[in-house]
Amino acid sequence: MIACKNCKYSNREGYFFCEDCGFPLEIGARNHAYTRMLEKNTSNLVTTKQRWGTARLIPGVEILLHVVDGHAPLRLNFDAMCLVGRDDSSNTSPPTIDLMPFGAIEKGVSRIHATIERSEDTLTITDLGSSNGTYLNGQRLIANQPRVLRDGDEIKFGKLVTHIYFGA
Amino acid sequence: MMLHVPDPYGILGVPRNAPPSDIQVTYQGLIDRLTPAHQSGNLAALRQIEQARDAYQLLTDRKRRHAFDLTLKEQGGPPTALGLRVTASRRTIEILDEPQVVYLLLQIEPDVMASHFPEPQPATLNVALVLDHSNSMQGARLDRVKLAATEIIEQLGENDFLSVVGFNDRPEIIIPATTVRNKRQLISRARMMRASGGTEIYKGLQAGYDEVLKNLDDNHVNHLILLTDGNTYGDQEECHKLAKEAAERGVGISVLGLGSEWNDDFLDEIAAMTGGTSMFIKSARDVGGFMNNQVKHLSNLFAERIQLSLASAEHVALEMVFKLTPSPQSLPEDEPVIALGGMQAERPISVLAQFLLPANLQPGFYPLVRSVITGDVLATNRKHATVSEFSIEVVKQASTEAPPTIIIDALGKLALYRLQERASESVKAGDIKKATRQLENLATRLIDMGEPELAQEAQQEAVRLSQTKMLSEESRKNIKYSTRHLLSSEAEGLL
Repeated sequence: MIACKNCKYSNREGYFFCEDCGFPLEIGARNHAYTRMLEKNTSNLVTTKQRWGTARLIPGVEILLHVVDGHAPLRLNFDAMCLVGRDDSSNTSPPTIDLMPFGAIEKGVSRIHATIERSEDTLTITDLGSSNGTYLNGQRLIANQPRVLRDGDEIKFGKLVTHIYFGA
Repeated sequence: MMLHVPDPYGILGVPRNAPPSDIQVTYQGLIDRLTPAHQSGNLAALRQIEQARDAYQLLTDRKRRHAFDLTLKEQGGPPTALGLRVTASRRTIEILDEPQVVYLLLQIEPDVMASHFPEPQPATLNVALVLDHSNSMQGARLDRVKLAATEIIEQLGENDFLSVVGFNDRPEIIIPATTVRNKRQLISRARMMRASGGTEIYKGLQAGYDEVLKNLDDNHVNHLILLTDGNTYGDQEECHKLAKEAAERGVGISVLGLGSEWNDDFLDEIAAMTGGTSMFIKSARDVGGFMNNQVKHLSNLFAERIQLSLASAEHVALEMVFKLTPSPQSLPEDEPVIALGGMQAERPISVLAQFLLPANLQPGFYPLVRSVITGDVLATNRKHATVSEFSIEVVKQASTEAPPTIIIDALGKLALYRLQERASESVKAGDIKKATRQLENLATRLIDMGEPELAQEAQQEAVRLSQTKMLSEESRKNIKYSTRHLLSSEAEGLL
């Protein structure tokens, strides 16, 4: 339960605003939104809004995969298709992008996890039935169904979080 | 011709070239996942099982699949047209010994592939205007309505279908369903309406609906626009039945309520059931603008009859569904399929859903909901489908990451809408003290959110209430629809 500081009403876990008085709930360090909501000038909010990146690929642009861990981004050099997975020498077809250096085993990356495909002006990702799944912006992909990627999208291979960028 | 079945490949989430063995495996997995929820009485799960079965039967029947593929090939166009993006209020949730709430934001937009479509033709409209001409409309109000009808006739294309029905205690077909060729004749007929009698909405709705049915087509935008300034008595149940049927047959009903007398809760519900919108028009001066916008919206659609089905997992309860954009509206969460109406290419539909998860979850991925979106894409003449299965990660200690701004903003605005709703409920229940406090809270929150004018109106109502024990009906409606409108203005900027 979360007690409202304004009216003392006990709210259910997961609420962000008091069900009784509508005031923002203070949820410890977990909720940074509390301070943000008190800004009276709403125009300030505009600058912090997240926007979706473009889905259009400019021909020749470089695709970068940031593995969230402070490493330098991986450059995806490919003409058509690139296989993401972990290489443990038992693979018959080694992945184009090997996630072994990023803790692939403990993060649950499959040997053959997903493919990223480049067509004329779009980039798509397809989960290849991996054991722990591929997540695009938090949404689990249905195996073998391609989904279009946008600049800045978050891709999770099992528990390994990465971001994809079009160009530097 | 529009392919009437929802795309079976989209429904099952299999590629076009999937071999029968893959389809079998996918289908069986899907049924296994949906069955526990269905057995515990979840109607959306039942609906999705039936839908999956139809798709499975089509795709595993060699002849039927071949015929379907052939039609797809002849029609051309990309396999997907509707995109669905799901964002949760939390990336991970903690194991708790009590139930917890998780919000999902669903954003439906044209798929990127849609840019490969042929230049879209403006949709053919099949619209009925159902206009109140009871006694209370006499004078300026009816004049404005006639003017608005005139403008709409001017605006429509030659191939659009229009009918105009006037109603008071009984319906009067002023213009039977017709193509809009002889505009001058239609306009002079629309101008003949005269005010008399009382308000009985059902008869007007029924007559307008019958006119729409004459040209009902899955490739048209079939819509009824109701304008009224009065309250209807004793025929609400019949209106509900009609709205339900209209929703099933793909006819939207939008409501324009003029002045303070009309029954907003009832008509909001009618509109929400069919994927239409409801609006509050304070002054007769604005009738033309609202009616024109409504018709403009309809003639710019990318897809029509967008439907959303949310089958929550076995122990998960779907508690609330609220449309944020394009027109904010509370939606019926207990319907197996929720009508979302039409979608413009540049204005995605966003919907906020609230789920309650049980206590004491196990670490790992916990399935929350399977969402199915279907919709008639006007440029491809097909009913497309997109599915998404969403799971949330349960961990011992949740991340300290801030929830997505868009969700927090929407929830903050929604809290205001709920506050005014509860204040009205308290007044109805006779608890004036509570209602006054709720309006004062609303005023404080509105100031925090940078809405001083609305805050002042809420404050005035709080004072009025404590003194006279009553709300001004006009102010109540204005506060309600203004707080509701805040939801779209914020979310709109984010999309």
